[in-house]
Amino acid sequence: MSTSEQYFPNEPVAPTVVTSEFPGPKSQEGIKSLGQVFDSRPVYFIADYEKSVGNYIVDADGNSFLDVYAQIASIPLGYNNPALIEAAKSDKMIRAIVDRPALGNYPGKDLEEILNGLLAVAPKGQDKVFPALSGADANELAFKATFFWYQAQKRGGHKVPFSDEENTSVMKGQAPGSPELAILSFERAFHGRLFASGSTTCSKPVHKLDMPSFNWPKAEFPSYKYPLDKHEEENKKEDQRCLEIVENLFKTHSCPIAGVLVEPIQSEGGDNHASNEFFQGLRDITLKHGALLIMDEVQTGIGATGLFWGHEHFEISPPADLVTFSKKFQTAGYYFHDPEIIPNVAYRQFNTWCGDPARMILAGAIASEVVKHDLPAKAQKVGGYLFKKLEDLQAKYPQYLQNLRGKDRATFIAWCFDNSAARDKFLKDMKTVGVNIGGCAEKSVRLRPTMVFEQKHADILVAAIEKVLSGY
Amino acid sequence: MLRLSRLLSKRWLSSSKPAGSTAAHYFPHEPKGPHLATDSIPGPKSQALNDELGQVFDNRATYFVSDYTNSVGNYISDADGNQLLDMYCQISSIPLGYSNPELLKAARSDEMANALINRPALACFPSTDYKQILQDGILAAAPPGHNKVWTALSGSDANETAFKAAFMYQAAIKRGSRDFSAEEMASAMENKAPGCSDGVILSFDKGFHGRLFGSLSTTRSKAIHKLDIPAFPWPKAPFPALKYPLSENVQANQAEEQRCLDAFESIIESYPPHTVAAIIVEPVQAEGGDNHASAAFFQGIRDITLKHKVLMIVDEVQTGVGASGKFWAHEHWNLTTPPDMVTFSKKFQAAGFYFHDKNLQPNQPYRQFNTWCGDPSKAIIAKTIYQEVVKHGLVEKTAATGAYLYPQLQAVLDKHPDKVLNLRGENFGTFIAWDFVDAGARNKLLAEMRARGVNVGGCGDVSARLRPTLVFENSHADVFLGALEDSLKAL
Repeated sequence: MSTSEQYFPNEPVAPTVVTSEFPGPKSQEGIKSLGQVFDSRPVYFIADYEKSVGNYIVDADGNSFLDVYAQIASIPLGYNNPALIEAAKSDKMIRAIVDRPALGNYPGKDLEEILNGLLAVAPKGQDKVFPALSGADANELAFKATFFWYQAQKRGGHKVPFSDEENTSVMKGQAPGSPELAILSFERAFHGRLFASGSTTCSKPVHKLDMPSFNWPKAEFPSYKYPLDKHEEENKKEDQRCLEIVENLFKTHSCPIAGVLVEPIQSEGGDNHASNEFFQGLRDITLKHGALLIMDEVQTGIGATGLFWGHEHFEISPPADLVTFSKKFQTAGYYFHDPEIIPNVAYRQFNTWCGDPARMILAGAIASEVVKHDLPAKAQKVGGYLFKKLEDLQAKYPQYLQNLRGKDRATFIAWCFDNSAARDKFLKDMKTVGVNIGGCAEKSVRLRPTMVFEQKHADILVAAIEKVLSGY
Repeated sequence: MLRLSRLLSKRWLSSSKPAGSTAAHYFPHEPKGPHLATDSIPGPKSQALNDELGQVFDNRATYFVSDYTNSVGNYISDADGNQLLDMYCQISSIPLGYSNPELLKAARSDEMANALINRPALACFPSTDYKQILQDGILAAAPPGHNKVWTALSGSDANETAFKAAFMYQAAIKRGSRDFSAEEMASAMENKAPGCSDGVILSFDKGFHGRLFGSLSTTRSKAIHKLDIPAFPWPKAPFPALKYPLSENVQANQAEEQRCLDAFESIIESYPPHTVAAIIVEPVQAEGGDNHASAAFFQGIRDITLKHKVLMIVDEVQTGVGASGKFWAHEHWNLTTPPDMVTFSKKFQAAGFYFHDKNLQPNQPYRQFNTWCGDPSKAIIAKTIYQEVVKHGLVEKTAATGAYLYPQLQAVLDKHPDKVLNLRGENFGTFIAWDFVDAGARNKLLAEMRARGVNVGGCGDVSARLRPTLVFENSHADVFLGALEDSLKAL
């Protein structure tokens, strides 16, 4: 019996489409009503989560879609997963919801056990964690840790006290207390939408317009030619070109670069991949310049690439300094290993809640299910199956499946259309055949199914894509 | 509801164990007083657990390791079995006491399990019941004049999303009806003007608004909150330093507030129009030392912001949800025009900002946006909190408890003028604080209180602050006053 069959004996065997327009009439009504009090303009449809099951999301009108977008890549184990229901109903969870602690001041007796649930699946080389509430929050806390560390090195170590000048200037928001320091990110990167994370995000103008930003530099991220095996040499040169830009920015940027922030696969920015050599190159450059390397695994983490963490494919050495997570883990934060990344005194990396035990308990349950059912390996297998089928479709419809990418990255697959209008039409048309699917960047389609997306779901997906494309 | 609670409060004044006690209703087994099981706190088990925790988590700020399963009502239990009257309440964030039966019911509901395990990307795939959850809870509690909300995850997040709304609002006014220019689109991607804003948020000296990069730039409480973190070059205005007792310093305080308003206005005037996108202010500067100002001061802020078309954000993260004797502390001011945005978190367990002007929703979707856009499981808890607060008249009861506590506290402190001063928070519910002659005395007092089984927090450099639950009643106040009296003598 497959994992999805074990979890979801009543999962639909196929999508059901009952409306002729999307969103359907009941969703439209709900969108209008919600819009009076909450910005509902981006709403695709109103979902009925009680009726949703496994890989299928049901909307207010009764449409049942195969969901390969999964709440912007954040549903790990399918809707209404029984193992997660059990965790949600556990005494531990009830307690965590009702008596939410200020974890930094009054941790509960069970905090270590809860954290160990996260640490059990820590990326190779990492053994500590600082919890947060979202991907943007996780990244910004990682930036703070990076700046604390960088200044401590500059000051001559943890034991050197702050100067009077630092203590005074900081209250005016001026150097040296508030130093000018940068995080380097990449073109087309996405790392969140608060002010510092927004400064590192480089995906689309609409994400950034009218926000004050830090003057932080961006390097170029490799743009590969596909298929990879036919463009090895060009792509290698492209890696080299981009690494040189990074190296150069370390020498030329107007202020010191304390950290380099990078996604294993640039997701919102268009599912842009880069080679092991590129990432090892980044590791080498950061070491050389005394900066930290931060891996943003918010979208790539928790198995979707075939390994628990996307960057484990690269086998970089020494390991990244900080690894951030959120989305499918349902909790957020950063892993690290160097004790010096803990600031010199208490209350520097601090806030009221310092995370949310309720969400961490859920993460622990997710982690243990993913490990128990060996889901990254299973995703790798179904991804291989799916990729082959998509290659076959590509041969048939080359115009609508350009730059197919994500080979050997499980179900973390994407491809391009000619332009955004054609891509948007495709996403919309997929609803008519019962599939909820997402785009990324200007003209890409990305697959972000759950970890219990299996061969039978892949067959339905491929048939649906073919049905739509055959009408073009 | 109002009348009922007034009746009840009268009875409270005559008896410290009222029949109408909400605490007794919720917590029939709440301890009558602190229970001390170890010679000192943290005790040996707390210490051992904290040492273990330190291997994976920064544990240096731990006071003690708690046992929440055995915590009830106003009493928090630690790992050693000590039970302390908790007047700090997870840095002011426990609304209805530990193990509240109504919150337990909400947490055990199918609605909650559904919200936890099927967490939606709210702005793309909201659930069929999200509107209703908001309507019955967070929005039902909206401050006067507000009818829309943007949900967030923490106080910092709430403030920063409010800042974003402010920047986009001001830029839209400057831009008029035209679309984004090619230059704006291109420069935004380079982190440069004109696409990125050169606007600022003005905050006040000693304000605390969070610790992410935008919110931290507006935080001005302590150096340790800010050191080594890059900050935006945003301005700060002075916040009034009032003299106490207020009744004996009326004129001096009026002059002080006028001085601050003048400085505030001249800072705004030093920027081009629409550059100061918003100002952010707490009704009481809590982390910064429980600094109060008069309703007239805040009306002055409102007038100046309206005059210069600057948005006014009131940060109710710590003051909101009843502790001040009003549901929202800024309701004490009776402003002629409501603030433009009101942010919340902590005791509401959910976070976000209220607003009323639809133009605070950016002109296009996906600008104020993120994956989760809040958390329905917290919105469900907020709904329950709001409904319980209303059902039991807890705002009015907290006002009454504060009125019972304040004069007695004054009397206790008056005996030690050499050690303590500046009692404040009269007619402000249980949101009360006072100063010590120095930080050493304050820290020693907090330790003495803990040793007597009362958990109290500090704020600012030399202040103690009271931040009990909304079910902290006269009987609890008596326990606190007794412990304080003894502790002050031991100083």
